Amino acid sequence: MISRIRISFLAPLIAGIVLTGCGGKGSAPAAGEAKSLKIAVIPKGMTHEFWKSIHAGAAQAAKELGVEILWKGPQKEDDRAQQITVVEDVISRGVDGIVLAPLDDRALIRPVQDAVRDKIPVIIIDSGLQGRDYISFVATDNYQGGVLAARRMGELLRGKGPIFMIRYLEGSASTAERERGFLETVTKDFPGLRLLVKDQYTGATTETAYQLGENLLGRFPDVEGVFCPNESSTFGVLRALQESGLAGKVKFVGFDSSPKLIQALRDGHLHGLILQNPVKMGYLGVTRMVQHLRGQTIPDRVDTGVTLVIKETMDTPENKALLSPDLSILDR
Amino acid sequence: MRIVRQQTRLQTLINLLAPFLGLILILAIFSSMPDIQSRFLRLANLKSVATQSVIVALGALGMTLVIIGGGIDLSAASNIALSSVVTAYAINAGLPPLLAVGLGILTGGAVGFVNGALITRLRLVPFIITMGMMGIARGVAKWIADNQKIDAPLTWVNELMAKSPRPSWLMLAPGVWLMIVFAVAMAVVLRYTVFGRHVFAIGSNEAAARLCGVRTNRAKIIVYAIAGLFCGLSGVMEFSRLTVGDPTVAVGLELDIIAAVVIGGGSLSGGEGSILGSMIGVFIMAFLRNGCTMMGWPNYIQEIIIGVIIVAAVSLDRIRHRRPT
Repeated sequence: MISRIRISFLAPLIAGIVLTGCGGKGSAPAAGEAKSLKIAVIPKGMTHEFWKSIHAGAAQAAKELGVEILWKGPQKEDDRAQQITVVEDVISRGVDGIVLAPLDDRALIRPVQDAVRDKIPVIIIDSGLQGRDYISFVATDNYQGGVLAARRMGELLRGKGPIFMIRYLEGSASTAERERGFLETVTKDFPGLRLLVKDQYTGATTETAYQLGENLLGRFPDVEGVFCPNESSTFGVLRALQESGLAGKVKFVGFDSSPKLIQALRDGHLHGLILQNPVKMGYLGVTRMVQHLRGQTIPDRVDTGVTLVIKETMDTPENKALLSPDLSILDR
Repeated sequence: MRIVRQQTRLQTLINLLAPFLGLILILAIFSSMPDIQSRFLRLANLKSVATQSVIVALGALGMTLVIIGGGIDLSAASNIALSSVVTAYAINAGLPPLLAVGLGILTGGAVGFVNGALITRLRLVPFIITMGMMGIARGVAKWIADNQKIDAPLTWVNELMAKSPRPSWLMLAPGVWLMIVFAVAMAVVLRYTVFGRHVFAIGSNEAAARLCGVRTNRAKIIVYAIAGLFCGLSGVMEFSRLTVGDPTVAVGLELDIIAAVVIGGGSLSGGEGSILGSMIGVFIMAFLRNGCTMMGWPNYIQEIIIGVIIVAAVSLDRIRHRRPT
């Protein structure tokens, strides 16, 4: 008796929710299509602008090539354990290929090996993975990004003056490459640029970057140029410059984009932004996978490019697309 | 104040049946989805769901004990992260892996012991103490790991959670076997030992239990220490799975663990719950997550479903309790 009450309660509740979910975006492909390729794209998180741009690129490629993508990230942003679970579940489900942005260069090795054992090829995007179990690595050439930033700084200061190179976070591989590119180019090509600071880390948040910026500006008020290697450090130090009235006077080159940074570029508080191309990364990740599955050979390293954008060039159509990517394909 | 109720065999059966039916329903729904029906119940998928469940399941074994005893342990997930970091740190420092595993488990046990000691000595509610410990353990984990993940060399410890275990006759990952063995052991402890009955008595009515001669403080400290040891073991499994010690892992996992116990019939006012029920709760959530990912549904759908199941399970429990016996 009682158990029957329970079932009658639970069944419609769960079934109702499950079926509503099914009726939404996850609707099955038309039955008429001959077995289209299915490719899983697994980001590090699902809510940040950067990942939405990758999603847009992947969706664009899927549309052009007539394949289906399964977009699924860890339930909590940046949770290594949950990303492993997602990769395992996608293998269980059975897909033709996996495009993965690994949250960790070590922890994801084993799930990728599992995929390869199940004859599912893997392309790595955005961040590196140790070992060589994947067929291709599609990512920004971060070192080149640092080189571009250093050249811009040299040009702005005509090759001489005291500058800061601010670092992001210990153990972050992509930003470390940017810092290395900047540092090596400055030492080699612009010996007149004097590095007042080159080993200070902002930490993960805008707030800690802001504090570091304030402290450094207090100690070295005569600095003439600053480079920051990612969005949060750029924004934090920008706030510090604005608060101390130095914004616009100190030449400032940053990395990545956000509405606030675009505004600062327009106001002349930022003198250059190095931009990656996440849309292209998602697009090429899926395209290369399809080419591989259709029997073509693909390069094992694909560079998605970095671009320097300055106030004068920020309104060209290409740079506008980089500064604020068009995500409208995701709304359909 | 709650009256200790004599449960008939039939009622016990029904208590267990309810979550079991929920699990079967979820299996039935996913295995009838045309997209994945051929793959959902395949051995390979069942093995990977079992492996994915180990970490929450070990935590839930301890949590069941704590919740039956009328307490709560919010520090479980932080404790798991701390133990995994300690294990990674010890292996990285060149200690023999077995010693590192022992250290990891003992770290968990120590955190649990401190929880229990503070709760009984300071006479504060477990919610507050373990909420404080949640922050302390997480902070210490980040401190030990110097705010990064710890890369440790690969050892046999990392085979504990391998989906295809080395001696292939094992069939399942060693971690899954550990989970099964400990689940059976805990079920026996709860049902057939004096200590187990004391835990039920404390959870039903602590004052009455004390008057009957149960050394409640001692029993409570043991309960939290055992829960801590399970978190420690769970942390070792987390390290085994990740191959790195990550101080930011398992944030919010304590709520998954508590949810599993509650779905399985555990009552947050104490005195009720079962190991089998909690394990079914763990598998309900694991299969939901697995099925939703296989279907390619967005994450918010599974969060909503799990939320609904928790509310439904608990409200059904209340309806059942309102019936006169």
